[in-house]
Amino acid sequence: MDGFGGTTLRINLATGEIKRTPTDPAFAREWMGARGFVSKLLYDEVPRDADPLGPDNIFIVAPGVMTGSFSPVGSKIGFGCISPATNGHADSSMGGHLGPELKYAGYDLIVLEKIAPEAQYLYIDNDTVELRSADKYWGMGSIDLEKRMKDDLGEDFQIATIGPAGENGIVFSCITHDFGRQAGRCGVGAVMGSKRIKAIAVRGTKSLPAHDLDAMTKLTCDIIERTKTHPNMAPWQKYGTAFFVGWSNERGCFPTKNFQKTYHEDWKKIDGERLVEECLVTHKACFGCWMNCGKYSRARIPGKPDTYVEGPEYETIALVGGSCAFTNIHHVAYANYLLDNLGMDTMSGGSTIAFAMECYQRGIITKDDLEGNELRWGNIDDFEHFLRMIAARRGIGDVFARGTKGAAESLGQDTIAFASQAKGMEFSGYDTRWYPAQLLSYCTSDIGAHHNRSWTITTDIELGRENYKGKAPVVVYLQHIRPLFDTWSCCRLFWGELDVTPEEHVETIRHLTGWDVTLDECFLVSEKIWNLNRAHYLERNGGPGRKHDVAPARHLSEPVPDGPAEGHTVGAENFEAMLDEYYAARGWDRDGNPTREVLDVLGIGFAADDLEKIGLLGKPLPGGIPKVRGQKLKPKAM
Amino acid sequence: MVLYLRSGGKLRDKLQPDVDHYTRRVEVESGQTIREILGVLGIDEGFVAFAFAEGKFRRLDYRPHEEEVVTLQPPVSGG
Repeated sequence: MDGFGGTTLRINLATGEIKRTPTDPAFAREWMGARGFVSKLLYDEVPRDADPLGPDNIFIVAPGVMTGSFSPVGSKIGFGCISPATNGHADSSMGGHLGPELKYAGYDLIVLEKIAPEAQYLYIDNDTVELRSADKYWGMGSIDLEKRMKDDLGEDFQIATIGPAGENGIVFSCITHDFGRQAGRCGVGAVMGSKRIKAIAVRGTKSLPAHDLDAMTKLTCDIIERTKTHPNMAPWQKYGTAFFVGWSNERGCFPTKNFQKTYHEDWKKIDGERLVEECLVTHKACFGCWMNCGKYSRARIPGKPDTYVEGPEYETIALVGGSCAFTNIHHVAYANYLLDNLGMDTMSGGSTIAFAMECYQRGIITKDDLEGNELRWGNIDDFEHFLRMIAARRGIGDVFARGTKGAAESLGQDTIAFASQAKGMEFSGYDTRWYPAQLLSYCTSDIGAHHNRSWTITTDIELGRENYKGKAPVVVYLQHIRPLFDTWSCCRLFWGELDVTPEEHVETIRHLTGWDVTLDECFLVSEKIWNLNRAHYLERNGGPGRKHDVAPARHLSEPVPDGPAEGHTVGAENFEAMLDEYYAARGWDRDGNPTREVLDVLGIGFAADDLEKIGLLGKPLPGGIPKVRGQKLKPKAM
Repeated sequence: MVLYLRSGGKLRDKLQPDVDHYTRRVEVESGQTIREILGVLGIDEGFVAFAFAEGKFRRLDYRPHEEEVVTLQPPVSGG
């Protein structure tokens, strides 16, 4: 089976039974891997009332079709489960080396069922697959453990770990690998922890069969040659993502003090230039990549140990640095390290602490709740103390371990109004009050608010930031193409930054697998996954769909107080009009429920049957569904 | 003075290269900043995250010199 390792593993953690089956070629062809595998397996196998942290949830490890290929750049691997943060479909991916290693060991998919009787780790050394005791590792930090396991097993093992947060079910726990690459979102680390799986260690030394290796090699070499001299390559290699902090501030979309503001007056103290000047140790790349956009840094703070961390990347600087109002890049890097080692997503973790800081500012929580400590903006000691309260679920830390939505529901007092989240997942590092398409993107995302599904800041600029019409079809288009890279399991940056076209990725897949696949077909696969995830979400959470696509009150009705975006807000009426346009563009009814027509076109009529049984199938659209759902933005030449 | 601006991606579409696939030759007043030059070209500075010249990061208030090659880095999400 060209392009794949050939074997699927299914492991019952309760009994220890390990089943190997040949990977089903038809299943692989239809769903393409990673996010696609996750979507279909979750839909088919998880009972609709299953507790995300209980035995009936499944935990999926899934590389994709391009994982392990050198074409740019097959470094990714996906993890999937029902999310404890959103109670819906979760998939979260990371780069590094684990995915390729797993395919070189011969595996395309791992499904973990039930719960292990004791702490274990999954050991894979080519054909040897074992569940081993993790007693001696339980309680260790993610990064500390990776080092320890490499010492124990050998440097050539690729290792993914969870930290104490994952063990304790914090809903924004992540999975860490390669000392700083994370599958960060959706709480996949908490589900791995609920299975009592502390780590996955893989060594693979086999080859990956390719359908037409010569053609694939030629295409890859052409892309390498072209991108090496691309004008935007050198800045990427040197600076990575942290250099967008200034731009984001000047655009008035940089989350500051829990999104109370959108401009951080001291942004120059925490931006990429300061990071490179003061903290950078070296550059770092994922498997097969010649971009090396990762930045490995050292944080130095008097009175604290020096710490080393990959990052902080833009999102961490925004949601830890800006949203918690830090004014020292070392403090941001140190906070990044703490979150990584405790095993928490820096985005949701940073946002949750920023939300708590605003609660403290308002007197909703006090020193009495904080073991006598304070929780002041920009104070690294306060941040660290409270973060450890969350990781251990001590006192009020237990409340915030549920994320901003869960904490707001527990705290009451209308705190939900300033929890910047959608469906239980915290916003990425872009305020939306001057960027309505980004608000629509967050609130309609299948996994909760996440920029990797649709990022539209420049779309909003292109189409006018005060304009609300005509943007929804672009959001739909982006929600198909951006997650496509998580389905193929390759890095999106070469597309967005270096002009490697989606058509070239599809050509790679053809050479790799021998599939007669087209880009149009890939778009339909991505749209199919999106619709299946929507159906699954409705089946788990009830309907209508529109009641879940809700924007936080702050982003609808609280004008930005100052800075470049001063005075702007989206307004409920405008947001509802955008939702109408969005549903129409998707072929869903006005309640936000998918119609049978669109589900049939996508080949998932079974989901229409399931929705119909619970009264959540969309009403037929009077004019039928759009022939093509989504519309690519055409940039205007100046 | 003459200046060479380079970029790829969507920014390339706006830049309308005329020297090679990525590069546009422009004539600007000496002493103008990148921000001012973008304004003259009609390119919203929101499409440019930062500039890169002589192997270094440059803010948009950077003033390029004669014949300088300046890469315009478009913003992207993530990390």
